[in-house]
Amino acid sequence: MPYLGSEDVVKEVKKALCNPHIQADRLRYRNVIQRVIRYMTQGLDVSGVFMEMVKASATVDIVQKKLVYLYMCTYAPLKPDLALLAINTLCKDCSDPNPMVRGLALRSMCSLRMPGVQEYIQQPILNGLRDKASYVRRVAVLGCAKMHNLHGDSEVDGALVNELYSLLRDQDPIVVVNCLRSLEEILKQEGGVVINKPIAHHLLNRMSKLDQWGQAEVLNFLLRYQPRSEEELFDILNLLDSFLKSSSPGVVMGATKLFLILAKKFPHVQTDVLVRVKGPLLAACSSESRELCFVALCHVRQILHSLPGHFSSHYKKFFCSYSEPHYIKLQKVEVLCELVNDENVQQVLEELRGYCTDVSADFAQAAIFAIGGIARTYTDQCVQILTELLGLRQEHITTVVVQTFRDLVWLCPQCTEAVCQALPGCEENIQDSEGKQALIWLLGVHGERIPNAPYVLEDFVENVKSETFPAVKMELLTALLRLFLSRPAECQDVLGRLLYYCIEEEKDMAVRDRGLFYYRLLLVGIDEVKRILCSPKSDPTLGLLEDPAERPVNCWASDFNTLVPVYGKAHWATISKCQGAERCGPELPKTSSFAASGPLIPEENKERVQELPDSGALTLVPNRQLTADYFEKTWLSLKVAHQQVLPWRGEFHPDTLQMALQVVNIQTIAMSRAGSQPWKAYLSAQDDTGCLFLTELLLEPENSEMQISVKQNEARTETLNSFISVLETVIGTIEEIKS
Amino acid sequence: MIGGLFIYNHKGEVLISRVYRDDIGRNAVDAFRVNVIHARQQVRSPVTNIARTSFFHVKRSNIWLAAVTKQNVNAAMVFEFLYKMCDVMAAYFGKISEENIKNNFVLIYELLDEILDFGYPQNSETGALKTFITQQGIKSQHQTKEEQSQITSQVTGQIGWRREGIKYRRNELFLDVLESVNLLMSPQGQVLSAHVSGRVVMKSYLSGMPECKFGMNDKIVIEKQGKGIADETSKSGKQSIAIDDCTFHQCVRLSKFDSERSISFIPPDGEFELMRYRTTKDIILPFRVIPLVREVGRTKLEVKVVIKSNFKPSLLAQKIEVRIPTPLNTSGVQVICMKGKAKYKASENAIVWKIKRMAGMKESQISAEIELLPTNDKKKWARPPISMNFEVPFAPSGLKVRYLKVFEPKLNYSDHDVIKWVRYIGRSGIYETRC
Repeated sequence: MPYLGSEDVVKEVKKALCNPHIQADRLRYRNVIQRVIRYMTQGLDVSGVFMEMVKASATVDIVQKKLVYLYMCTYAPLKPDLALLAINTLCKDCSDPNPMVRGLALRSMCSLRMPGVQEYIQQPILNGLRDKASYVRRVAVLGCAKMHNLHGDSEVDGALVNELYSLLRDQDPIVVVNCLRSLEEILKQEGGVVINKPIAHHLLNRMSKLDQWGQAEVLNFLLRYQPRSEEELFDILNLLDSFLKSSSPGVVMGATKLFLILAKKFPHVQTDVLVRVKGPLLAACSSESRELCFVALCHVRQILHSLPGHFSSHYKKFFCSYSEPHYIKLQKVEVLCELVNDENVQQVLEELRGYCTDVSADFAQAAIFAIGGIARTYTDQCVQILTELLGLRQEHITTVVVQTFRDLVWLCPQCTEAVCQALPGCEENIQDSEGKQALIWLLGVHGERIPNAPYVLEDFVENVKSETFPAVKMELLTALLRLFLSRPAECQDVLGRLLYYCIEEEKDMAVRDRGLFYYRLLLVGIDEVKRILCSPKSDPTLGLLEDPAERPVNCWASDFNTLVPVYGKAHWATISKCQGAERCGPELPKTSSFAASGPLIPEENKERVQELPDSGALTLVPNRQLTADYFEKTWLSLKVAHQQVLPWRGEFHPDTLQMALQVVNIQTIAMSRAGSQPWKAYLSAQDDTGCLFLTELLLEPENSEMQISVKQNEARTETLNSFISVLETVIGTIEEIKS
Repeated sequence: MIGGLFIYNHKGEVLISRVYRDDIGRNAVDAFRVNVIHARQQVRSPVTNIARTSFFHVKRSNIWLAAVTKQNVNAAMVFEFLYKMCDVMAAYFGKISEENIKNNFVLIYELLDEILDFGYPQNSETGALKTFITQQGIKSQHQTKEEQSQITSQVTGQIGWRREGIKYRRNELFLDVLESVNLLMSPQGQVLSAHVSGRVVMKSYLSGMPECKFGMNDKIVIEKQGKGIADETSKSGKQSIAIDDCTFHQCVRLSKFDSERSISFIPPDGEFELMRYRTTKDIILPFRVIPLVREVGRTKLEVKVVIKSNFKPSLLAQKIEVRIPTPLNTSGVQVICMKGKAKYKASENAIVWKIKRMAGMKESQISAEIELLPTNDKKKWARPPISMNFEVPFAPSGLKVRYLKVFEPKLNYSDHDVIKWVRYIGRSGIYETRC
């Protein structure tokens, strides 16, 4: 960051540092050095005074030494030749009688990030490892990791690793933990430090002597250890029991994760553990430290995914207080939404209703969406509340309520009547694109039940010239055409005007094309229009598929107490994926499993998948909504046309598969929960000639192979073969992403 | 592991920047300033990801502290570390403010050097750190032999939190029970949620390696000790309390607590937090707030608020402040209160009513007439809750310290030579009544 006048500053400081009068006066000398550090902090490049600073390091004043070393560590990579001059002083300090000086010098020397320093630091580090003061040993142990980092990819020094392994028995707890950290970095290529039985037991015995940072770290390392027998497993769990009640939330979470992972074959133990950490977690959720509270809430949400009723009796703890920061309120609303049950639904809804009129529009909207979420189970009460909210005639409220309605009628058709009654009058209070689209969609699809629907749409058509969002215009076109089918007399004139506008005057290509398309479609005949536009008006099954099905604890246990619950799985998947691309060897974090577990399909794969249908002679038609009943009937009436077994190994993520299938227009009709054995899914697809493909996927309990059975309503082998090749490619791609 | 630590002032100027790992560059400092400190909207999350780098940030008064990392770390641990760092800094130079940080920046760099190495937390106990860091900076060669051996013994000692050979002429200890009572009450006077989060803070100035034993009126212990004593306590009116959950300083032997529920420990020297607890049952709510809001026409509001103190008449509550929110379109306010001073603060949209002292079992009342500007804004006034601040000289959870015994077998002082001080302070946390 080049600051103005940086050169002048350097010149001035240099002069001061060289001034013998200042050098003679210890306090003044130190003040000048402080100034250098201050400039450095501000981002000024003061590497120009490196020479003078090296000279200043030869002092008996420890504070001055520390400052100079800090300076040297920052600029050594820029001035490697000059930094070598400092090595001499540092080496001398490494044999100082004062352990503090020894430690400081060794630490600074290891932090000099410049090529060629290794040969100088090797001996001091080895001496440091055997130093009698543990302070120096702590520094030396981490020094090993720093040295290895400097080397880059060079091979591992076996003798050093052995020495570090033996230091795991050191008396000083911090040395022990540092050893683990250091070994982990040095042995990263080989999978990190090895935790065998003696080491694990040694660490377990030392646990209580460690400070909280050490405890958290060791708990993390113990995740790697697999007890030989059930007996040993439970011994370990007993030993670690007290850490579930530690004063440090970090340790509590670490211990919880360890319990969950170790007891992965004992679901009742896992549930028991989650019950026992309920107290500490709730305490963290209501603590004054807001950031910790936030983290705890994220984890509570994680737990709720598997145990929906877990916190239900404590729902009042998640009521928002007025002065809490925004991010906590939003998390709490999410939590409330998930722990609703028959007993507390009344109170929770009452509370959420209060939030809907909050001054912060964001928060109010989040609360409305939450009510919308609850409405999937408790439809009547929620729709009533939402309808009342429309009465406030607030722009930011109305738009979100209408969007919620749109999603709701799709999933819960039984509330259509109530929604249709609430809609008239809303249009005055909606200004944004999302809200308008939702309203127009509703008017189009359910227009026959809303008396004034054509006139509202007419208003929109009237103002279409000043409409800024193309998406709204597209929605308007579709909606009006749909309404035209059910109420032709009222819409014909308006539709004509809209089509004319879209084709003749509209500048946005997408809107124009859509207009032309509908125009030509109308020329073909009204029956054709009906066939294409009148898709089903709701699909309750979608809700079941879309909802994250109750997931077993094991599928998130490995993510517990990491950043995954904080960022959300999808976000984390993108972060770690990008990181993977720029990762350079040793910096590789242990996250390889995340890229696969996220529901996102990596971009490049998506494109590949999309190209597939064009490659064969077969074209699958999108949006063919088959009902489950119809599927079942057809399935039973047909014979298996083709059966095949594909190899399959390791973990399995139904969400990803479902999404990938959707891309190639294969609909998932039903599937079993993730993790259930055997796992089954029923798929349907239709090609442009109307030929139906019904498929069953069966994943055997051993997870070793996937059996595919396909049925076809018209026996045509060539399309069948291309369909199977599409299916194979999709499954193959999923496999690839996973590994 | 933490890649770097930055401290900014509210303008986003860097006060302290310390980088521990190669993967964090100088541009990270600027990225945080631009994306978080200078961002228009309010903070969306205390963990922000910018260019695949995670920034964990906390704010103290108007100072931002940010820990930066590229790894998948334990979020709770990083925040705890930041809190710890604030505590350590506060122990050295008091409040964390821009001025204090600027004045002590050398000291802070020294601290950062000791508590983190290569991004890994090292020793963070204030007491233990004091041996490594001296604000004045001592000359290494003039350091006495004794001091040197002290460092060695501290660093090799079995107990990380206490050094050996501590001597005091007067053995003294201070015990503070600090509680914050949180309440959310409905307008009808129904308690929506209430909890007390408390801390027992101990300041010990004891010689040698004293073994301490701490006792309180924990329900489980009292019930365990047999009926004889239980009768006695019930006669004297002392109640035992149910603790929902509690956590202890590292020095407390947890195994003993689990088996006998007794709290025994060797305390660190100086101030430390012995335990932290939370209760939700039988909370003594020191104040009741009874609001009455009446809308008179469209341009007037009448507000009457009664507060009742609910504790022994001999005790005095202090620093009482009641905050009554007013609508945004308030044009004028007339206030009448029986006690204390009340003022309408237009900038905060609230009537602030302050009372210096108030005894128990008393009642006081304020009434205000709020005149509103007529607006055509149909937005209903959201009616934020009435909040309250106070300080009372007792523990709202009902916690009582029964004893704190000190044993030091090697030195010749016994339990009753130690001067002990116990103090209870109950403060309001978030104490809100909806209206």
